[in-house]
Amino acid sequence: MTPRRSALWIVLPVGLVALLVLAIAVGTVPLTPGEVLAGLRGEGTAEMNAIVRALRVPRALLAMLVGAGLGMAGAALQGTLRNPLAEPYLLGVSGGAAVGAVIAVAFGLVAGALLPLAAFAGALCAVAAVLLVARAAGGGADPRVLLMAGVIIGAFANAAIMVALANAPPNTVRGAVWWMMGSVADADWPRVLWLAAYLGAGGLLLLWRAREIDVLALGEEPAAALGLHVDRAASRMFLIASLLAAATVAAAGLIGFVGLVVPHLVRRAGVRSHRPLIAGSALAGGMLVVGADIAARTLRPPSELPLGAITALIGVPFFLVQLARRA
Amino acid sequence: MIAFEEVRIRYPRAAVRAVDGVSFAVPRGAVTAVVGPNGSGKSTLVRALLRRQPLASGRIAVDGTALEHIDRRELARRLAIVPQREEAAFALPVREFVALGRFPHGGHWGARPPGDEAVIVRAIERAGVTHLAARSTAELSGGEWQRTRLARALAQGGEGIVLDEPTTFLDVAHEMAMFELFADLAADGMAVMIVSHQLNLVARFADRIVLLNEGRVAAHGVPSEVMTGAVLERVYGWPLVVLRDPAVGAPALLPLRRSRGRSS
Amino acid sequence: MPRSPFQRVVWVVAALAAVACEAPARDERSAALPVDDFGAAVDTTAAPAARIVSLIPATTEILFAIGAGERVVGRSEWDQWPAEARAVTAVGPGLRPNVEAVLARRPDLVVLYGSEDNRAAAGRLEAAGVRVVALKIDRIAHVDRALRLLGALSGQSASGDSIARALATTLDSVRSATDSLPRPRVFWHIWRQPLITIGAGSYMHELLEIAGAENVYADLAAVSPPVNLEDVVRRDPDIVLSGPNNAADVRNDPRWQALRAVREGRIVVVDTILVGRPSVMLGAAAAHLAERLHQPPPQ
Repeated sequence: MTPRRSALWIVLPVGLVALLVLAIAVGTVPLTPGEVLAGLRGEGTAEMNAIVRALRVPRALLAMLVGAGLGMAGAALQGTLRNPLAEPYLLGVSGGAAVGAVIAVAFGLVAGALLPLAAFAGALCAVAAVLLVARAAGGGADPRVLLMAGVIIGAFANAAIMVALANAPPNTVRGAVWWMMGSVADADWPRVLWLAAYLGAGGLLLLWRAREIDVLALGEEPAAALGLHVDRAASRMFLIASLLAAATVAAAGLIGFVGLVVPHLVRRAGVRSHRPLIAGSALAGGMLVVGADIAARTLRPPSELPLGAITALIGVPFFLVQLARRA
Repeated sequence: MIAFEEVRIRYPRAAVRAVDGVSFAVPRGAVTAVVGPNGSGKSTLVRALLRRQPLASGRIAVDGTALEHIDRRELARRLAIVPQREEAAFALPVREFVALGRFPHGGHWGARPPGDEAVIVRAIERAGVTHLAARSTAELSGGEWQRTRLARALAQGGEGIVLDEPTTFLDVAHEMAMFELFADLAADGMAVMIVSHQLNLVARFADRIVLLNEGRVAAHGVPSEVMTGAVLERVYGWPLVVLRDPAVGAPALLPLRRSRGRSS
Repeated sequence: MPRSPFQRVVWVVAALAAVACEAPARDERSAALPVDDFGAAVDTTAAPAARIVSLIPATTEILFAIGAGERVVGRSEWDQWPAEARAVTAVGPGLRPNVEAVLARRPDLVVLYGSEDNRAAAGRLEAAGVRVVALKIDRIAHVDRALRLLGALSGQSASGDSIARALATTLDSVRSATDSLPRPRVFWHIWRQPLITIGAGSYMHELLEIAGAENVYADLAAVSPPVNLEDVVRRDPDIVLSGPNNAADVRNDPRWQALRAVREGRIVVVDTILVGRPSVMLGAAAAHLAERLHQPPPQ
């Protein structure tokens, strides 16, 4: 392993832990480190305990999980689709989840787990639709056909959202738009635990089959020559990656650019093979979203900036740099 | 090792069959060349071997078992197929690229058996890309890329190898070197099947030639039988002269000019 | 007739002066007329409107309250009060209204919400020869004005004025009743996702003050700004005010335990149907709030 690569495996975990600590220590209510520690142990005042254990820790963990999920999904999709510009929402996830969420908000089904479940269901339907449309067009695993199917379903979903919001009362519109801008403000322990279990399972699956992505990334014919059932392997990857993305969307709304940018950054550090790429993208994605959430919470109190906006603001200079390097 | 038996293949919505009743065998220990004009069905046969193209009728068998009954990984361990074109979306160091050839042998977790490293190194040597092992695939020339892909196929460690147009970008030295390698592989006991346009090289190195035309076998046999002026002119539709050069020991093809131009 | 250029100039200047002298007189006349929220003069001296389309829930309710209900021939689809209003034909949304549907009711007066979204519709209605009045209904003063203006426009001036006076009187009496009571600091929980509260720009904020309480977010000028739960904790309200649905969430959610008010059980539930809209019921709303806010705390 080159020195750069082995440094990565120290920098990433350490960086993640550091950001988590920062996320727990920093907030609108100023707490001294002693108070934060007391709150963590449950030995501070009731207020401190609640702020640290019920507000900040779940929020930081949710941000980390969302970032990890998006990073892994992005890395897997870019390899499987052989396209460095692929991102986790490509196969209908964002459109479908948004439709589910908007419908839930419009009907007032926002209590507890109803909204995330509606978003997840919407995402599942959209992914299924994309895979079906692609298969019907004769290209079940062909990246170009899939991308087109994703665009079609996405456009349809956007139309549905517009219709739903056109005549909705103002608070519904506001709630729906807020959800679509992405936020981990609604983090609570049940959500964190669900997402952790889900991403753990999905992540393990991806890591287990990561070699297949290395082979798929060579192309359809070379992958077939190396003994892969290309259509099945590719569909498997799309499904797992899209389900991971759908889970993050259900938990936190639409947060763009993470799945797109993070795998690039990890690749730039010299990681090629998809197993370390996926693992590294999980860590780096976690760091990115935790950092972005700290910014979202503290830049303009008392309101919060939308998380999706912060990650987009990070994404734009990233791509400018990429363009500059090419030129 | 590979047997094509009355293979018929039709592309969806095509008027005629791309492959229309092709039968031939690719035995071990010999170089079998499949030649023919563009569109004669050569690459379609390779796609069928990759299982990317279903058969309308007929059978492709590997060591007697029909293709669809063989586990894909098992097949990849025994038979390496190098398709005509491959474009890398992501750059890899050549060594890692070649190492992917061991994929059919590894378990999911990718723990590599200890012998792998040696196989990879040997494959890189045989393909003549040792000096490129640390380079990125993005930096390779056309010819270097072709040889690197050959190295990966060799790393698969099988008993058979199928190559579709393997020498397109190679200069004469590398081309000859590659054909000599094919002859060596056959001498080692491998079944070697090459699809190629290079009639002269095929004539010199192939033990048997299968000449396809419009999806059917127009001629099949040793080079001196197949490479006759009459047969080739009919199939290729171009005036040719076939020379016999004792120094080379194989028929050599000379296409004639049809239009007036500077005298040859 | 002017002959020389100099005479022509003098003539023009004299004509302009005459017009200019007239203009102030006209302005004085228009200054006597009220101006609506789009800056247009509202002619209350004309005959009362016989067919009114009201595209704001508050004004629909006001029109019925002042006894002009039979003149209302169209309402927006959001208008729900009073019960009789539901029998009136709905003509579409109140923001960016369906002009054709409105015109189909053959109104002689249309009451619109005074937001920029509605300027285009106002223009088209006026071009079709219909009188348009654009009103904002965000603050208590706006409700008072709407009562009087709509009273004048619908021939129910007496009723409109008297209801406006009664409203003002009720509000004053609530204000003086709570004057001597301790003023709790209140966080008004409006919406869950995102967390939205009431800022100083809203009539609900005014109601809170009249009811003898202080809004912890009085420093925010917006009508309904989103806020961050930790910031609410920092402001340490004495009471969390909420509708019945949100109140259950707040009680059961461990994150809200960070608020002293929640730990002490000081979650006050209010009737959102009563206080959640600007209407003629504002007096009752203020009284309701005052009664709920000044209950003794639970033991």
